[in-house]
Amino acid sequence: MTSREAAFRRIEDAARAAHGPPGPAYFLALAIAGGTAAFGGWAYSLIVRGGLHWTGLERPGMWGNLITDFVFWVGIAHSGTLISAILFLFRARFRTAVYRVAEMMTVFAVMTAGLYPIFHLGRPWFAYWLLPYPNQRLLWPNFRSPLIWDVFAVSTYLIVSTIFLFVGVAPDAAALRDREPPGWRRKLYGALAFGWRGTDEQWRHYTRAYLFFAAFATPLVVSVHSVVSWDFAVSILPGWHSTLFPPYFVAGAILSGVAMVITILVPLRKAFRLEELITQRHLDMLCRLVILTSLIVTYSYATELLLAVREPASDPERGTFLYRLGGDYAPLWYLMVACNCLGPALLFLRRVRERPAALLAICVLVNVGMWLERFNIVVTSLAHDRLPFDWRVYTPSWVEWAMTFGAFGWFFFLFLLGLKLVPPISIAELKEEHAHGEAGAGLAGEEPHAP
Amino acid sequence: MRPEPGFLATYLEPAQAARAVAALRARGQRDVRVAAPAPFPELMAALRAPPSFVGWITFPGALLGLTGGLLLTILTSLTWAEVTGGKPVVSLPPFIVITFELTVLVGSLANLLALVIGARRGLRRGHFAQGGPFTRDRIGIFCAGVDPAVERLLRESGAEEVTRVP
Repeated sequence: MTSREAAFRRIEDAARAAHGPPGPAYFLALAIAGGTAAFGGWAYSLIVRGGLHWTGLERPGMWGNLITDFVFWVGIAHSGTLISAILFLFRARFRTAVYRVAEMMTVFAVMTAGLYPIFHLGRPWFAYWLLPYPNQRLLWPNFRSPLIWDVFAVSTYLIVSTIFLFVGVAPDAAALRDREPPGWRRKLYGALAFGWRGTDEQWRHYTRAYLFFAAFATPLVVSVHSVVSWDFAVSILPGWHSTLFPPYFVAGAILSGVAMVITILVPLRKAFRLEELITQRHLDMLCRLVILTSLIVTYSYATELLLAVREPASDPERGTFLYRLGGDYAPLWYLMVACNCLGPALLFLRRVRERPAALLAICVLVNVGMWLERFNIVVTSLAHDRLPFDWRVYTPSWVEWAMTFGAFGWFFFLFLLGLKLVPPISIAELKEEHAHGEAGAGLAGEEPHAP
Repeated sequence: MRPEPGFLATYLEPAQAARAVAALRARGQRDVRVAAPAPFPELMAALRAPPSFVGWITFPGALLGLTGGLLLTILTSLTWAEVTGGKPVVSLPPFIVITFELTVLVGSLANLLALVIGARRGLRRGHFAQGGPFTRDRIGIFCAGVDPAVERLLRESGAEEVTRVP
C-alpha cells in the first residue's frame, strides 16, 4: 500500500471510527443529554397544560428566559455557516477539518432555537398561524412585524443550512458506502450519498452548486441575526432601540458559535483521536476568530454604554444603562463582561491557546457570557422601562430554568446521534488537501477508536 | 442503453491522471470521462469541460423567490388593507426582509434541484460502477474507442491498470 493510499484510508478510518460501536462513555453522555431534554420537555408540558403562569413572566417583563434562549441558540447556529460558507468563499483552508462539525452544530442549534418562539406562545397549537397560507378568513400574517421576519429568517436558515450540510456529506457518504460491507450502515451511507459516484460531470456541477450555496448562505447568516436583533431594535424601549444592534448581534453570534465549536471539538478530537486531522493549528485559527469577534463585542458594549451615559440625566436610555451597571442585575452584567471581554483576551497568549483544557474553559465561559448578554438585553431593558411604576425585577421560574437546561440536553442529544450517522470530517476535501500536501501532517499515527 | 466500448485506466496520483487526460485530449480524443474521490483541480482543468449549467437554474430560481416575496407581501397586505401605526399599507422596507429570505430560499432550492439533475446526468453512459475504488482512493479515466494507441498511452502515462470495457 502506498503512502497516498494509507493516508486516504486513515482519513476514511477517522470518519468510520466515529461511527463505530459506541462505548459506555457515549451512552452515559447520551443518557444525561436525553434525560435533561426529557425533563425540559416535561417542564414545558406544564406550560402547555397550565399556561404561562408557570413562568416568571409578568408585565411589563413579558420576555424572559425563553426569548433569551431563542436568541442564544440562533447565535450558536451562526458559526457553522461562517466556517463552512464564508471561510469557503475566502479560501481559508483551515476550515476543511472542522467545518462538518460546525455545520452539524448549526442545524441542531437552529432546530433548538426554532422551538422557543413556539414555546413562548400562549397557545402553541396555533403556531401555524405565523405562516402565510390561504384561509377562509382572508387573514395573512402582518409582514411589517419583526416577529414574522423571524419566522421567515429562521425557517430559511434551517432549510438552507440543512441542505448545505447534506450536499457536503454526499461524496463522503459515497466513500464510506463503497467500503462498508452489506448491512444497514451501508444502506444509510447509500441514502446519504444520493447515488454519488464521483464522476467528472458530478464534480463539475457539485463544485459550482456548492459555490452558489456558499454565496447564498453568506448574506443569509448576516441577515438572520440582524433580523433577530430587529425584534428589539425596531421597538422604542430604552436599551433596545439602537442602530448598533445588527452588527453587534452578528459579531456576538459568531463569538458564541465559534466558542461552541471549540467546546465541542476539544473533547471530540480527544475522544476519537482526531488530533492528526484536527490539529492545534485548526484550534489556533478558531481562537483568532474568537479574539476578533470578542474585540468587536467589547467595542459594542463600550459604544452603547458611552453613548447612553453621554445623554442628559433625564434620558431613559441613560437610566437603563446605569441600571445595568448598578441595579438588580448588575452582577450579571459584570460577569458578562468578564466572560466575553476579559476571558477571550487570554487567548492572545500562545501558551493558553495551546492548552486544550484552558481553551475549553475559556470557551465554556464565553458561552455563559453570551447567554448572559442576551439575558441583559432582554430582561434589564424590560425591567427598567420609561415608566417608573412599571419597574419590576423578573426572576425566572424553575420551569424556565428546566427548559433552558433542557435545550442544552436536546442540542447535545441530537449532536451525539448525528455524530454516529454523519461523517464528522470532510473526507473528500481532506483527501484533496492531502493530495496537494496541505492536510494535517502525519496521518499515520495511532489508530482511531470509538469511545 | 448498450454501454460503449473503451478503455478504463486506474491511477493513484491526480497529477499523473491529469497528464493522461491532457495527452488524450491532445491526441484528439473528445470522449474522455473521469471519476475521482475529490475534485482535484488539475484533473478538472485538464478535462476542459464546458461550464456547469447549474447557474441557469439557480439564478431564475432566485428571481422567482424575489418576485414571489414581493407579490406575497404586497398582495396579501392589499387584501386586508388596514393601516397600522400610521404607516402605508404597502411598506416596502419591511417587505424587503421577507423578499430577501424568499430569494435565498427559492434560489437555494433551485440550486439543489440543478445539482440533483446534474448529478443524475453524471451517471449516464458511465463505466464507473458503484462500489468501485473511484470514490475512495483511485482515479478512473474512461476513454471511448478501441484504438490500441490509446491503451498504450494510458499505460505509459503511469496507469496502475488498464482494462477494456465492457
